[in-house]
Amino acid sequence: MRVDKFFSNIKISRKLVAVFLATSVIAMCVNLFIYINLNQALDKINSVFSSNISLNELSDNLNKTHQGLTGYLETKGTDDLELYFASYQNVKQMMKLLNSNVTDNNVKLAERDIGKMLDTYLKTADEAVQAKRGRNIDEYTAKYNECTRIKDYLNTYIYSVNNEQFRTNSENYMALVNSLRYTEIMSMLIFAVASVMNVLLIIILTSTITRPLTRLSAKAEEIISAGSPENIEPLEVRSGDEVGKVTMAFNEMLASIKDYIARIRTQLITQSEMKEKNLLMETHLKDAQLKYLQSQINPHFLFNTLNAGAQLAMMEGADRTVEYIRNMADFFRYNVKKSSETVKLSEEIELVDSYMYILNVRFAGEMLFEKDIDESLLNVMVPSMIIQPLVENSIKYGIKDLEPGEGKVTLSVYREDGYACIRVSDNGIGTDEEIIEKIMNHEKKPSETRGVGITNVMSRLDLYYNNKEVFEMKSRKNEGTHVTIKIPLEDTNV
Amino acid sequence: MVRKVSRNSIAVTVLAGIVLVLFVATVAGLLYYRKMIKDLNEVQEEVYEEYTRLYAYIAEDPDSKLSKKIYKAFCEYARDNGCYVEMTGQNLSTNYSKADRINIAISSKVDGIILEGDNSEETRELIDKAWNNGIPVVTVLSDNKDSKRISFVGLNDYSVGAEYGKALAELRARDNKQPLTALILLDAEERNYDDMIHTAIIQEASGRYINLSSEKVNTSTPFASEEDVMNKLDALTSMPDVIICLNDRTTESVIQYIVDKNLVGKTTILGYSDTETILKAINKGSVYATVAIEANVLARQCVDALNEYNNNNAEYVSDYFVADYVLINHGNLDSYDPEGSNEGG
Repeated sequence: MRVDKFFSNIKISRKLVAVFLATSVIAMCVNLFIYINLNQALDKINSVFSSNISLNELSDNLNKTHQGLTGYLETKGTDDLELYFASYQNVKQMMKLLNSNVTDNNVKLAERDIGKMLDTYLKTADEAVQAKRGRNIDEYTAKYNECTRIKDYLNTYIYSVNNEQFRTNSENYMALVNSLRYTEIMSMLIFAVASVMNVLLIIILTSTITRPLTRLSAKAEEIISAGSPENIEPLEVRSGDEVGKVTMAFNEMLASIKDYIARIRTQLITQSEMKEKNLLMETHLKDAQLKYLQSQINPHFLFNTLNAGAQLAMMEGADRTVEYIRNMADFFRYNVKKSSETVKLSEEIELVDSYMYILNVRFAGEMLFEKDIDESLLNVMVPSMIIQPLVENSIKYGIKDLEPGEGKVTLSVYREDGYACIRVSDNGIGTDEEIIEKIMNHEKKPSETRGVGITNVMSRLDLYYNNKEVFEMKSRKNEGTHVTIKIPLEDTNV
Repeated sequence: MVRKVSRNSIAVTVLAGIVLVLFVATVAGLLYYRKMIKDLNEVQEEVYEEYTRLYAYIAEDPDSKLSKKIYKAFCEYARDNGCYVEMTGQNLSTNYSKADRINIAISSKVDGIILEGDNSEETRELIDKAWNNGIPVVTVLSDNKDSKRISFVGLNDYSVGAEYGKALAELRARDNKQPLTALILLDAEERNYDDMIHTAIIQEASGRYINLSSEKVNTSTPFASEEDVMNKLDALTSMPDVIICLNDRTTESVIQYIVDKNLVGKTTILGYSDTETILKAINKGSVYATVAIEANVLARQCVDALNEYNNNNAEYVSDYFVADYVLINHGNLDSYDPEGSNEGG
């Protein structure tokens, strides 16, 4: 297990090197084994017949010695003597290789006998040479005959030992050939086993490399099939190699993606809450701004002034001026009085009446204003200041530029499908589609003149009725603009 | 996933197990192979022992069963005493004469020669040559009295002859109606001991109505002996009651002749030596009795004489050792051990 752990912490490149090294070492060992065995076997085969070879050489040298001796004794020739001495030395050297001990082994014993006989031969031959030098014919003849006899014995012995050795050597040779066959079979077996071992080792080692990769890719597939990494458990890191590091990085990535998703979710929730709050804030701000504007005009001063104006007009008998100033006072009073959120529809209509009277005085009665009111709806509660801005808009952008007496504004209040509908229509020049669209999409900024009042009204209605679509604006070129507010009756406090 | 991994690791474990088993099997195979090769080499190695001295045994007829038996006894006794006896001239491609074999022994500087001697001049010269070369010679079974041999170990020929004579007397006693005819097959070569035996037999048989005759058998070569026995016996006008053979080969030839000619029961043999054939013939009745040398005693005497000489020099070595023999007949056949573990007699 520790080895397994150790191995799993090694780099992939080193693992691969280890795999190839291991298999190569096995292959090399097998080759070395086969090589050594074959070499040993060959060496042995070579050495088997070496004893025969050396005996033959010995025999050759002995015969040469005898030939030299014979030649010398016959002719006293220098060449013969040289041959004799050279061969004599060779024989002496070769004698040293022979066994000299008494043993119960026939070949070894014969070797010993050969050695001793050679010794006798050489001694006798030397004596013959000496006798030759002393010209003692009888002696060197006797010695030579002795030498010849011993040489014959020696040749017989060498021949016999050679035969015996050849027989033994042949047996050895057969045994060696057998062992060579065993070596061959063994080598083949080991080669086969080593090959199988190599293949298995490669499978094992490569699987330890590829297994973590397979797990990693399986995990990736799991994530893909799940569609989201949120419920995926991280992968266990089992190795310290590159794959282990990639797995760790993968796990960290998985964790950070999960974290990221959670953060985005919280952020979205916070953002929507913020948006809601911002809207409310805006409304309150608008309210505040309005209240601020309203408070700027001292209503009591204004009313007192207007009342003073009205009394003055009355004293002077100017009835129309009195009427005008009263309407003005009413108009402003409404603003002061209706600082609360909701008012009755009838009050809104009265405000429009006052506004129209003032305008008609201003523009010398050129604005036609018609009303078509369903009396039953007069008590419907609506947000304040929603009709007057619409009428003001119709006049300002609809009919202002028409010929005097042609412009006409119609206010209709009627019931339709559970709604109280308030429609302000004009027969003016109409509104561009583009502008309508901008207004409806709340894209119109307060700084842009057209529709400032309308935008304000729309925003307030949206807030009041929780974004229900209660506002509708329609127009055609030169056919005037129709703005309709649909007040849901169930939402109103009648 | 978890299952897949575990299956994978099981597979890896199994593979690793197989690799381990293969590895162990390979190592075991290698060890076995090594041992096998070593055993093969050991078979080739010749096992032998070394000895301090080498003695040469030169028999008259190295191929005779008696010589082989004696040689075997020499080997066994010599080995126990730290020396080795070589049957000179054996295992060679040429069959050398006795003289050559003595020469070989002298040339190869053995520590002593055990020689089956004879009275020839050549043998005497060779024994003297050996002596001059510092090699002591012990003659065995047959002596060369004039030579410089240090000892003679042999049968008392006279007593052997007397044994044959006694056996003849016994046979005569079984059937005393008519004279017993006996034929002695002598060695054609002039050999001292045959004459002694012959004389002893004659002396023992005289006055007992035994007609003794003798024939000389050519024993110079192994094949000649058998042929000559056949010829000699075929040439006889009437088959003798007893044929006395003075060597093992002649004895076996005569046994075969008697069986072939269906003469069992009519002619009996007094044989020499204790080869398997002769012992079987005693059992079957074709051989009445045989004289067998106690080879172990003979070997002990020869090897001891040479060792004594080599250890203490010539003065302390006895000139003559009487070798023991045993007469084997139907009576003591069962108790006789041809391997000679019984040293009495």
